Amino acid sequence: MGLIQSALPAFLSGAWGTILYCVSSFPLALLIGLLLALMKSSRFVWLSTPANIFIEVMRSTPIITQLFLLYYGVGAILVNFNLAHLDNAWVAGITSLSLNYAAYEAEVFRAGFLSVEHGQTEAALSLGLSSGQNFFRIVLPQAIPLMIPPFVNDFIYMLKDSAIVSVISGSEITSTLNYWVSRHGSNPLPLYALAIALYLLLSLPTSYVARYFEGRLRAAL
Amino acid sequence: MQQSLPESLPRVTRKPRSWLVILDYLFYAILAAAVLGFIYYLYTYRDTIALDLPFLLQGAAVTIILSVISVVFAMILGFLGAMGRLSRFAPVRWLATTYVEVVRGTPILVQLLMWYFGVGVVLSQAGFDPQNAAFQFMTVFQSNSLVPDGFTAFFYGVIGLSFNYGAYLTEVFRAGIESVQKGQSEAALSLGLNSSQVMRRIVLPQAIRLTMPPFTNNFITLVQDTALLSTIAVLELQQQMSTIADPLLDANKKLFIYIFGALIYLAICYPLALLSRYLEGRMAVAY
Repeated sequence: MGLIQSALPAFLSGAWGTILYCVSSFPLALLIGLLLALMKSSRFVWLSTPANIFIEVMRSTPIITQLFLLYYGVGAILVNFNLAHLDNAWVAGITSLSLNYAAYEAEVFRAGFLSVEHGQTEAALSLGLSSGQNFFRIVLPQAIPLMIPPFVNDFIYMLKDSAIVSVISGSEITSTLNYWVSRHGSNPLPLYALAIALYLLLSLPTSYVARYFEGRLRAAL
Repeated sequence: MQQSLPESLPRVTRKPRSWLVILDYLFYAILAAAVLGFIYYLYTYRDTIALDLPFLLQGAAVTIILSVISVVFAMILGFLGAMGRLSRFAPVRWLATTYVEVVRGTPILVQLLMWYFGVGVVLSQAGFDPQNAAFQFMTVFQSNSLVPDGFTAFFYGVIGLSFNYGAYLTEVFRAGIESVQKGQSEAALSLGLNSSQVMRRIVLPQAIRLTMPPFTNNFITLVQDTALLSTIAVLELQQQMSTIADPLLDANKKLFIYIFGALIYLAICYPLALLSRYLEGRMAVAY
């Protein structure tokens, strides 16, 4: 009990780090994901193929491999170009989290756009709206409510995947955990219990909120 | 009386966009150049490939073996979990629900670290050593040389992966079983089958078809998550990459090892993704 009490402040600041990683990566992932989704659904091959390749590669390689590639591989190159200040856990962690999740969010965006009936687009175009107006005024407002539950789901996945940043010693819960376990190696189980409790505290309320909104959404449709 | 059309019906004119299509052909040229450039990039590092490919392939083999063993245990756990969640007895239901919620609410990395550095350390203080136990066990069959050196990490890695994916597969199997119409089991029961026969002969054969696509998706993420076992020093593909790349001083070569390793992961996972999409397409047609 004394161990948990002395570890708690460090773990709480670790939880703050986890939240910071996610809150900064997820909007970036959404932005890049929207761009990728628009590129992928483009008529032009020079837009759709790069987006396709990016999405497939990102979804078929482990995020930890991408993180190592960015931090150690690209990082070593950056050091050669006198950009060593860019080679830290925050930059590498946020970049790899947002790029990896962008690929998943792109698929969510695309599924959302496809779920809006094509007749709506046809009607809007025949009423004289431009394709840009059609997208922002007709398709997007109807697609967003459908996309919110998968987004919240992916946000919870990101809360958990941000633990992977600990392999490059970012300052979040799992890094704090590794540090404390290395100091109290003979009695590690309470520390793991504390970390698991913190992750549950972060992810379970989010998932219950998501389920509540999903239920309301089902009722509304 | 015939109604005449208004004189000036607005003519829909679309801007000619053919110049953008020209970019398509330009793009094909650039794509071909990029592919050739990448092949040339691989070619310039042919010595590195010749030197390190055997180790990387060995790591890839460990990755595949790990994923297959873990997914088998995860399926058993998932099946038990699904049975528990659909059980008539409330305590069993609560137990299964807690398992699923706790496992799905925490990162797999923390779980793996907990199994190896937490549970593993406590068990070894209590005198349990998986390496030694497996060695003793295989000695009976006179084949203890089959037990690899890093068996302890491998053992806890498989436990961690199966425990984690058991929870995800619980939800997959439960959704599959619940998606079989209730009328089917009612009909079977009224025809005189008992409840285990209903499960084995009626519900499961139909549920398995529906669970195939999400199951394949989970298997793909499982294969990718075996890379996390590098944190507990299982010599799989990611760990092989790190052990090769870390001592290198040449930054370009270092980057190349990581890119090449990622390509191997791509070669393992992308066919699986195609298979999952094929299964999804077939499922959409089947009903």
